[in-house]
Amino acid sequence: MYDTFIGLEIHIQLLTKTKVFCGCSNNYGDEPNTNVCPVCLGYPGTLPVLNTDALFMAYQVVGALKCKRAEAAIFERKNYFYPDMPKNYQISQFADPVGINGEVIFPFQGEEHRVRIHDVHLEEDAGKMIHAGDMSLLDYNRAGTPLLEIVTEPDLRSGEETEAFLRYFRTLVRTIGVSRGNMEEGNLRCDANISINTHGAGLGTKVELKNINSSRFVRLALEYEKERQIGIVEAGGSVDQETRLWNENKDITVVMRRKEESKDYRYFPEPDLPPYRPGEDFFRRVEESLPELPLDRQKRMEAAFSLTDEQASYLCEEKARADYFEAAVAAGSEAQHLYFWMSGDLAALVNKSGTPLEESRLSPEKLATVLRLLDNGAIHGPIAKKMVALLFEEEHDPEGLIAERGWKALDDTSKILPIVKKAVDANPSAAEQLKQGETKVLGFFMGQVMKETGGRADPETAKALITSYVKGEIV
Amino acid sequence: MSDAALFGWSSTAEYCTYLDENDKKVGAFLSRTGADEFQSALERSRSEASDRSPLRGMPFAVKDNIAVKGLPLSCGSKMLETLSSPYSATAVEKLQQAGAVVVGKTNLDEFGMGSSCDNSALGTTHNPWDVARVAGGSSGGSAAAVAAGMVPFALGSDTGGSIRQPAAFCGTYGLKPSYGVVSRFGLVAYASSLETIGIISLDAQLLRTVFDIMRGQDPKDQSSRPFSPQASEKRQGEKPRIGVITDIEGLAPAMESAYRERLDLIRKKGYEIVEIELPMLEYVVPAYYTIASAEASANLARYAGIRYGHRTDWADEHSELTEKSRDEGFGDEVKLRILLGTYVLRSGFKDQYYLRAQKIRTLLRNEILSAFQKVDQILSPVFPTAAFPHGDAGLDQFQQKLADKFTATANLAAIPALAFPAGQSEGLPFGLQLLGPEFSEHKLIDTASEFTELWEPKTAPGFREWR
Ligand SMILES: [Zn+2]
Repeated sequence: MYDTFIGLEIHIQLLTKTKVFCGCSNNYGDEPNTNVCPVCLGYPGTLPVLNTDALFMAYQVVGALKCKRAEAAIFERKNYFYPDMPKNYQISQFADPVGINGEVIFPFQGEEHRVRIHDVHLEEDAGKMIHAGDMSLLDYNRAGTPLLEIVTEPDLRSGEETEAFLRYFRTLVRTIGVSRGNMEEGNLRCDANISINTHGAGLGTKVELKNINSSRFVRLALEYEKERQIGIVEAGGSVDQETRLWNENKDITVVMRRKEESKDYRYFPEPDLPPYRPGEDFFRRVEESLPELPLDRQKRMEAAFSLTDEQASYLCEEKARADYFEAAVAAGSEAQHLYFWMSGDLAALVNKSGTPLEESRLSPEKLATVLRLLDNGAIHGPIAKKMVALLFEEEHDPEGLIAERGWKALDDTSKILPIVKKAVDANPSAAEQLKQGETKVLGFFMGQVMKETGGRADPETAKALITSYVKGEIV
Repeated sequence: MSDAALFGWSSTAEYCTYLDENDKKVGAFLSRTGADEFQSALERSRSEASDRSPLRGMPFAVKDNIAVKGLPLSCGSKMLETLSSPYSATAVEKLQQAGAVVVGKTNLDEFGMGSSCDNSALGTTHNPWDVARVAGGSSGGSAAAVAAGMVPFALGSDTGGSIRQPAAFCGTYGLKPSYGVVSRFGLVAYASSLETIGIISLDAQLLRTVFDIMRGQDPKDQSSRPFSPQASEKRQGEKPRIGVITDIEGLAPAMESAYRERLDLIRKKGYEIVEIELPMLEYVVPAYYTIASAEASANLARYAGIRYGHRTDWADEHSELTEKSRDEGFGDEVKLRILLGTYVLRSGFKDQYYLRAQKIRTLLRNEILSAFQKVDQILSPVFPTAAFPHGDAGLDQFQQKLADKFTATANLAAIPALAFPAGQSEGLPFGLQLLGPEFSEHKLIDTASEFTELWEPKTAPGFREWR
């Protein structure tokens, strides 16, 4: 009965070495006010100098979002007062953003959805205010760091869809390598506007939501706001055009400012930065630098390696993960087997150690070797697990390890049987239970055998021997 | 022998005493380099600068809106009275590398806004020719320091005539270079797209030397451009063809007759004088004030009492802190221009004012460029009157603004302009101005030197010759 229209203004911090208009380090988390200079503090007489690395990254995003790119980077001054904004104007783009009219295709509930991009513009970030008692402290380390703002058309329909879009968007910017794209860390920030209207009647009165700093809050805030607006309309009222804040403690939105207080930014061309024309060579380098988009890659990998939608989506969520997978396949691994290991043991190791997969000692080639050794029976499962964990941390040769640590698979019946006999004989009551058909006990005996053989015993052989011995089929 | 002694003083101490004594009468300086620092800077210059550098050991003064590391950068405002600059302007650094030594920072109309120097919140500068009169502005301190013989040259900044008008009032040369040829890095911004650092001197050749050292593209200033004079070198050796504007209404009678006399002299010496029309000149002043105020409203927004400059004693919150600090720190003229600039950029007014002014600017520039198809240089008065008495007795503030029409043209069109001494009228100096195409600075200096030989201007009373 109602249509919902959601548009986003997404800010991403770009991963340049230095700030966008001066040479200060663009590093988060340093001591307050250590990455500052007269230029980024807006000292009288200083002038901005454009960091072309930031512009390069901006154009990479413009390319990935399939926008029409601007041939020149043109900057304007956006005038507003804020204590953490050193010049009290922000160098931004207005009339001529670096990109316009793009689109993002993203997966949602097994379908492909599309969000149109209105524009992409490059600007400088402000500093940070820290309130301490009755004092306000200012940290200007972030002032002047490069920010890319991506404005979407109101093409999203629900909080859930918006959350999925943001998740894909994060993967996208991480894949290009221009931002960490993490809302919780603050390097992806997002304002949303939302309106509802009776079905088919077009856009309703728009409410802007600010201060939503996790993708979960995006979903909650939008769902709350949608219901609030529908409630107003159902009760015969009309929605006010205003800006609201998400209160994460109460899970509600509250008014921040009304329409009549809306700002006039008095944009005008930045006289200190003449239009910058990057030229053909620059644009060619941008194009060459662009990787395959995550959704394209997901579809290709699904087809090429017979993966499910979910499997390919997991792998393509991080570019490094998909790269790793493809490298291991190229080194001879079977796709399903590899996926099983990557989403299981390897994911657990990454989680536990905090070391990203691509920074571990276990190269895709070594993993492929381990899986081959497992496949051809040179080692058994439990040893493979041990080996992977060891190779993840330390530099070893997988084949050398087998000899070194005596990890070769044990499938010789004459060697396994005495161990089986010893375990069963020592636990007569358990043996009796197994004999009565309580198969759970089999696991207990397997454990004993594996413990005794250091995990080297062939599990099938051991199982068969235990069962037969208990039943008295062998003596 | 390469300290101040080279320039006529037996010792640095003697020179410093001379400066102290003289500046009591003139009031050109807001701050001075201490005698010891000056001495050690001279010694550094002696050891580091090349023997052949004509500026080795030469003192100079810097307008107090141009940054010199460790010295105040007050901009003639209470707002920045306590600021010490953490860095130096590129132009200053280049001169220091060539061996020149900063002796102090000179007075100006607050943030460069004014044409008398009486708008300074920090000091009064008098015209060395007649201390009852103003030195002009906004670079009045620099012009007065040069005219009084305290320094051989000084740096100023020119947004709409701020070098040329005081140069004319004080009987000196004043060069506003082509936009972007001298780096603006270190010049406290008032109207970024119009202003440039320039030079005031009594010696045309020294002016050229200083210009050649300061100019050049600067990686710290993206609006800076390389100096490429080729475009204007085609008529080498020939006498330049001089365009004069027929419409010179509004000149004071004495100025008008002096101007006509000088034109006759020039014509008699064989220069071809061509009358040209510049109808856009009528719109120069409103377009100039619209653009300058718009840019000023953004450029001065940073003075909020937070990181530097004046901060009010007590405020409960951010907006109150800003309001009170600005109210206490800025003078009336500055407040007026910030308000005006905010107004012309407001949505709903922007098309009518700011964007229209930008269109006028383009039309004016095109008109000037097409005039340079017919003539090599354009000669005009600098200002309709001679230096007026303190307290605006001659012209009210509004008239002072209208009078900027001859000078602001060059800033809107981004071309170089040179004011030069054209003799005296009723005991006060009188200046003329030459405009040329972009990068024609050298030719303007050549022509002005030739012209001044025709009438040999005097120097101010009490002036002590350099060299
Ligand atoms: Zn910086």
